[in-house]
Amino acid sequence: MTTVAEPVTTATPLGGSRRRALRRLRRNPLAMTGLVVVVVAVLAALLADLIAPFSADRTDFGAALQPPSGEHWFGTDELGRDQFSRVLFALRASVTVGLAAVGLSMAVGVPLGLLAGFYRVLDPFVSRLTDTMLAFPFLILAVGLAAIRGPSLVTAVIAIGVAEIPLVVRVTRSETLRLREMDYVAAAVASGAGDGVLLRRHILPNAVNALIVQATVTIPAAIIGEAVLSFLGLGVRPPTPSLGIMLASAQQLFRDGPWLVVFPGLAIVLLTLALNLLGDGLRDALDPRESRR
Amino acid sequence: MSPAPSSPPGPSNTPNPPGPSSPSRLPGPSNAPSLSNLPGSSRLPGPSRGPGPTDPLLVVRDLTVRFSTEDGPVLAVDAASFEVGEGEVLALVGESGCGKSVTALALTGLLPRSAAVSGEIRFTPSAVDLRQLGERELREVRGRDIAYIFQEPMTSLNPVLTVGRQIGEVLRRHQGMRGERARRRAIELLQLVGIPLAERRLREYPHQLSGGMRQRVMIAMAVACRPRLLVADEPTTALDVTVQAGILDVLRDLRAEIGTAVLLITHDLGVVADIADRVVVMYAGRTIEQASAPALFAAPSHPYTRGLLDAVPNPARHADGGLREIPGRVPVLRATQDACTFADRCGYADEVCRSRRPELEPGPAGHLVRCWHPLTTTVSTMGKRR
Repeated sequence: MTTVAEPVTTATPLGGSRRRALRRLRRNPLAMTGLVVVVVAVLAALLADLIAPFSADRTDFGAALQPPSGEHWFGTDELGRDQFSRVLFALRASVTVGLAAVGLSMAVGVPLGLLAGFYRVLDPFVSRLTDTMLAFPFLILAVGLAAIRGPSLVTAVIAIGVAEIPLVVRVTRSETLRLREMDYVAAAVASGAGDGVLLRRHILPNAVNALIVQATVTIPAAIIGEAVLSFLGLGVRPPTPSLGIMLASAQQLFRDGPWLVVFPGLAIVLLTLALNLLGDGLRDALDPRESRR
Repeated sequence: MSPAPSSPPGPSNTPNPPGPSSPSRLPGPSNAPSLSNLPGSSRLPGPSRGPGPTDPLLVVRDLTVRFSTEDGPVLAVDAASFEVGEGEVLALVGESGCGKSVTALALTGLLPRSAAVSGEIRFTPSAVDLRQLGERELREVRGRDIAYIFQEPMTSLNPVLTVGRQIGEVLRRHQGMRGERARRRAIELLQLVGIPLAERRLREYPHQLSGGMRQRVMIAMAVACRPRLLVADEPTTALDVTVQAGILDVLRDLRAEIGTAVLLITHDLGVVADIADRVVVMYAGRTIEQASAPALFAAPSHPYTRGLLDAVPNPARHADGGLREIPGRVPVLRATQDACTFADRCGYADEVCRSRRPELEPGPAGHLVRCWHPLTTTVSTMGKRR
């Protein structure tokens, strides 16, 4: 029989289309800048204990309200705490809340979205539920939760995670609706695959691209959400450093110590900007219209 | 051809090694009605009688499929009847929209819920009526007893799973094979369908393979559990001609090596002539002619079959210029008609054709034909048509 030997490309553990997507991402300077900033921020948060020159809550009244210097890069606050160290530890709270909230919203939202997209019977219920959740103001939810549970990091994670569930449900549902019509799903049905296999092996792995992009949008939103909640006193409580708390306490000292506002503010702006740039790059790189075939 | 699968080839009347040792691979009643009281031509059991369906593997009787659409009901298949013999290649032929694919999908209940299906689909060994089985039991049948290959090899493989994972999935589902055993079987299967460097291909993703390779992988997945019947819905349509020939070779070899019967759905008469034992011609949801492939090509009895053959480009016959077409289009039927559905396009139609429904009966050339005025001339002596 006639078989033409083709050049054999080396297989990699990554999905082929995803490998090409990574290559596209690498050629996008903005996205790569974003990636570098995000990696630096995450490393800084993880290694805060090692990097930080001072402990986050070591007070030194002799060195209160000092502008940035060689010893205190970001200056000190009214209690003489080193702002650079506090920003590093605050990033830890931001990153934790960002990841945990998105993890929570994915853990609940992805299964709901899969079910809503796959079983038409369930769709109206799930979709109306997500509409209801979207219509519910985020801050009211957060205030309510803080009233019940008391303000804490976990409260912030729950409030933000729940608020993001409907977005994840919608993305997953629309991906499922699209993917269930794919030829390979029909072929799997014809080879005897049950619904569980279809969802687990065929639909979910192909929806991952869209979910990655969704995550890069919701993580920065969650980070800002944490800052907002902490600023309002609904999230992380002092003395645990959080960018929101730092901004809140710097509010009254803006004239005497503008650096107290500038550095935490800059940290939020840079981190979310970097995440958004990375997200845009990933969206372009993973765009289904481009990466198909 | 590549090494044969681990068990001896030949008509696979024996159940596969793994799985329960029940002689019947199908769930359902094993003392189902005998086939011999079914209407139809060749239903006598016995040794090979030439190109007829000797031991019917699949018997379809009066299969009717209606879809309810926004524009009202559509009758997609109208009492289609045919049989597929053990190890036989049966071609289901007809133009687009005549109900070929719907028929194929209806066999194992793959049609959407909007389809209303009636009729009988008996599948040996237990001669159970597949229509009586529930979704769960049908899932067992799909892929294990009746496997499918579709038209679009480019999109029928999951882009994010390696070839090995996808074949392994089928092996695990129906044969409980996993790990090293499944891997070795997958390599065998790839070799069986003529894929070189099988071990390496297992680790590759669909986009790394050409269209012909992908279709071979699809075939490998389809025959992974040695199905009794392989339903190939236009398996070569999306491929170029040289690749087509290779795929047809694979199908032919498979039959020789594992004894799988093939229900080949196609509109390509060249493919039919190449590989089919028998042919069933469909038109507007009805089966209108059945014969062995040589007999059908030599002496088509139904005017539509003749029209189809005439429409095949042939430099010798079309020297006068232009293809001969069948005027008109396939009608979309709302309900069954007491008439021949081809009457409006047929040069031989008369009052009988328009007022009475023809049945599938033995015609002058010995074919089963659904026509009031079956043709008697053979193609070679074909004179002028009216």
